[in-house]
Amino acid sequence: MALAGLYKKLEAPFPLSEVLLAGATDEQLNAIAAESGTGLSQEEMKALVGYFGKVGRNPTDVELQSLGQAWSEHCCYKSSKQILREFVFGIDNPQVIDRGDAGVMEFDAENAYSLRIESHNHPSAVEPYGGAATGIGGIVRDVLCMGCQPVALIDPLFFGRLDTPPEKIQKGAKHPTYLFDGVVSGIRDYGNRIGVPTLSGSVVFDDSYTGNCLVNVGCVGIARKEHLYKNRVGGVGDNLVLVGGRTGRDGIHGVTFASAVLTEDSETESRGAVQLGDPITKEPVIHAVLEVARRGLITGMKDLGGGGLSCVCGELAYAAGFGAEVHLDKVPLKEEGLLPWEIWVSESQERMMLAVTDANLEEVLHVFKFNDVEANVVGRVIPEQSARVFFKGVKVLDMELKFLTGGPEYCRPREVRAPAQRVAEAPAKRKLDHNRALLGLLASENICSRDWVIRQYDHEVRGCTVLKPLQGVIGHSSHGDASVLKPVEESWKGLAVATAVNPWVTAIDPYRGGKGVIDEMCRNLVAVGAMPHAFSNCLNFGNPERPERLGEFHEAVRGLGEAAAALGIPTPSGNVSFYNESETGSVMPTVVILGTGIVPDVRNAITSDLKKAGNFMFIVGRTGPEMGGSAYYRLTGASSPLVPDTDLPCLKRSIDAMLAAMSEGLVRSCHDISDGGLAVAIAEMCIGGQLGAEMDLEALGEISSEAALFSESNTRWLVEVEQTKAEPFEQALGGLAIRIGEVGGKELSICSGEEILVSQPIEALEEAWKNTLWNRMGGAE
Amino acid sequence: MKPGEVKVCVLRIEGTNCETESFQAFERLGAKPEMVHLKQLLGQDVRDSERRNLMDYHILMIPGGFSSGDYVRAGAIFAARMKSKLAAPLAEYIREGRAVLGVCNGFQVLVEMGFLPGLEGVMSQTPDAVLTTNDSSRFECRPTLLKYENNYNCIFTHKIKSGQVLLIPSAHAEGKLLFPQDRADAIHKQLEDNDQIVFRYVSPDGDYAGYPWNPNGSPRNIAGICNPSGNVMGMMPHPERVFHRFTHPDWTRGFSSELGDGRVIFESVLESVTKRF
Repeated sequence: MALAGLYKKLEAPFPLSEVLLAGATDEQLNAIAAESGTGLSQEEMKALVGYFGKVGRNPTDVELQSLGQAWSEHCCYKSSKQILREFVFGIDNPQVIDRGDAGVMEFDAENAYSLRIESHNHPSAVEPYGGAATGIGGIVRDVLCMGCQPVALIDPLFFGRLDTPPEKIQKGAKHPTYLFDGVVSGIRDYGNRIGVPTLSGSVVFDDSYTGNCLVNVGCVGIARKEHLYKNRVGGVGDNLVLVGGRTGRDGIHGVTFASAVLTEDSETESRGAVQLGDPITKEPVIHAVLEVARRGLITGMKDLGGGGLSCVCGELAYAAGFGAEVHLDKVPLKEEGLLPWEIWVSESQERMMLAVTDANLEEVLHVFKFNDVEANVVGRVIPEQSARVFFKGVKVLDMELKFLTGGPEYCRPREVRAPAQRVAEAPAKRKLDHNRALLGLLASENICSRDWVIRQYDHEVRGCTVLKPLQGVIGHSSHGDASVLKPVEESWKGLAVATAVNPWVTAIDPYRGGKGVIDEMCRNLVAVGAMPHAFSNCLNFGNPERPERLGEFHEAVRGLGEAAAALGIPTPSGNVSFYNESETGSVMPTVVILGTGIVPDVRNAITSDLKKAGNFMFIVGRTGPEMGGSAYYRLTGASSPLVPDTDLPCLKRSIDAMLAAMSEGLVRSCHDISDGGLAVAIAEMCIGGQLGAEMDLEALGEISSEAALFSESNTRWLVEVEQTKAEPFEQALGGLAIRIGEVGGKELSICSGEEILVSQPIEALEEAWKNTLWNRMGGAE
Repeated sequence: MKPGEVKVCVLRIEGTNCETESFQAFERLGAKPEMVHLKQLLGQDVRDSERRNLMDYHILMIPGGFSSGDYVRAGAIFAARMKSKLAAPLAEYIREGRAVLGVCNGFQVLVEMGFLPGLEGVMSQTPDAVLTTNDSSRFECRPTLLKYENNYNCIFTHKIKSGQVLLIPSAHAEGKLLFPQDRADAIHKQLEDNDQIVFRYVSPDGDYAGYPWNPNGSPRNIAGICNPSGNVMGMMPHPERVFHRFTHPDWTRGFSSELGDGRVIFESVLESVTKRF
């Protein structure tokens, strides 16, 4: 179809077109949506026809592009909002201070912290190094624009299996080892350079991520309360000051790219949607922004992320009940010749928008010049609730912000399938004795040591990392459950951060999976002595236009919301990422949680490594034969629709009892029981402490030895307690704790009464556990 | 002079990122640190009230980070920017016996500028050494154990007991200290003769072990050196990160003192400076 019939050139000293919406046929509307790259649906195009019909003119190409950004799934959550509102938005808590680009929570009387996690999946699938790096850049700006100093990064990553044969990789996709290496390098080079420690994360390998890897990025920041800012302007007449990087053609249509399924052609078609990161612009931007924030020189700010200027200008002004006038010729460019709509929607990195009164303008510009960061006034706040955009004296956009930022909301059809319809009960394909099963689990890609990743990230810069991601005897340290920061110089209070995700369980039973991920977050935080306080979520799902995918989303969010509400833990920020599928299918429903907890005094924090021979081992919580989704079933090839459920009142009681015991100094080490069950948990504790243990699981009751060793039942911890404190510990746990062993020797032996289940020297456990990633990724000694 | 009168210049440019904890290390000991941007010393883009004079400080600390992204070679751009206008004042500063500490990227800067090892007077015209890419080719963030090998020439370490092993973590991609190949043995001997070796990487058994205890593959396990007169020290590991025991990697396993192993370096230099000035 000829474009001529769809657009008319307008009189202007630069290319500017009128989009001929009035009287357009359905076919023509579809053609406009496709040609413009906006991805708007026919229904949405008709809403545009209606609006501009009332205004009495056709839109310009700048206006069309602006709406395409604002109404993308990525920006307006049109498929998810109703479901989120029903289950999670309502969870309130007096400690929530703000729900802006990042959520803000109270830390202590004087200080607040902010948190957010989001996805950067599609850019990372196309260009892993740049995609991951700019993911870090974006999440850091979300925290920064609340007025907070970023103090921690969290990176949950999901790839296809590293041993996937190259011929099994679909056309257009990249091999998991290449993606994994690129993503880790991108996070390393960006995060290390801006001086923010990477404290937590997870790496998951599964075939469902082969065509569409997931890269989630989280950040936590800290600020004194009086230095917090809202993502809104102060008042009419405020200058809109664009600071940081220049604007270019990189990152055009990033949000529409994120709101579509990946295809064979994504590489060639969408590489331009991947932004370019520059940590050495970002680092002084952080300095300068925090300086003007602390000195009270600005009235509000917001970062430029998805949709670029087109989203930030309107949202910043409209949040305060005003509008904005923007002059695109004032925007500094990376190259000449950008069209006005390109400037307006570009997602070039390292940019922030500040609102500044006339009185403070000169001082703000000086601070940026001093830090060698560009800062330019590009617009002004106006009383009318409209966005008005000019280029070379010509008005190219004039729209009511209520319409522009309103966005559609859908209640799309969904289909909920019972777990038994999703997976059948099937016996093991491989019979393994318990010793071989344990060693196999320890060596599996999903459980083995993550030190290949962790040691490439600086997790100690800023000098306040009290518990690191790897804990225990140096040279043998093993996985901790959460990391702990001491973020305020004058206080011993700690902030714990943990990641939680279990896509295998969620894939079988999204509802229980949603609940379970909150359970896992709480287990991880409590294990180090932290009271769960808040969480941010990143919900990675497939195409929501498919009823089964949206059904998964609905059930997972329902479970998540129920669990969080029962515990009163708010989620002041979150992110939904749909369309995570490629031609070979969808990713598993992947609910990722960044949890934060408060440690009353970091000097009492607890690590997972065993401490001393002679101490007793307890298990807290009930072990059941619910093996669906477990690492053990994946190893043996069995399957079951029965996945672990969460008893929410019991979870609440367990959290309180565990923290009470810890505050009385009764706990020497603690590890949550998750992937690989009790056997893997105790093995990791032995490795980290270089101490053996003798365990007897008979007291777990009438369950099979497989379930006793490898079940992943929720709400469980392994706890090391000194003999003299065993009695008060049991009392504090009020019947939740069962004594099952003793620390000592150089061997892990697990029996059930007379029957010996596992017997392995620590070196054998460590050898199995430590080498897998090194062997796959290179660098093995 | 009292510790409260010791002025410390914590120098930064874009990409410096360990300035906060470096500042805090001095502040916690009662000194008067100040965060100073290189442009304040050079007088670029600054108001009169923001200008600073190097000679007003007793200690210059160049913290870790990725100055200017380390895109050419670690520390090279920072060093070039300093060299153009600050080389002469800094040489004078060092000649007067004032203290200069470079940690990680700061060490790389001091080597690039020719102040370390500083074998031709205060400042060598061309660098005598280089801190190059780790043998692993990766960024390495890990605990390292440093054996104190100085015989009290260095003013940053005199409070450490001879032969003592400190746990001070490393986090760098370019920390392998190399000398020109044809002169490496001679330079090494010179460093030993001049008492310029300060720290060597060791294993928990106290041996000069290889990777990962020596995280970068530095020949002869060198982790830190000083200049011949002992008032300029550079080291790759980060003492400011272990000021308290509670940021050690294994403190939950038990400890005898709440003081971290890195603290003694800041205490030593403060004591040296208060005695001298």
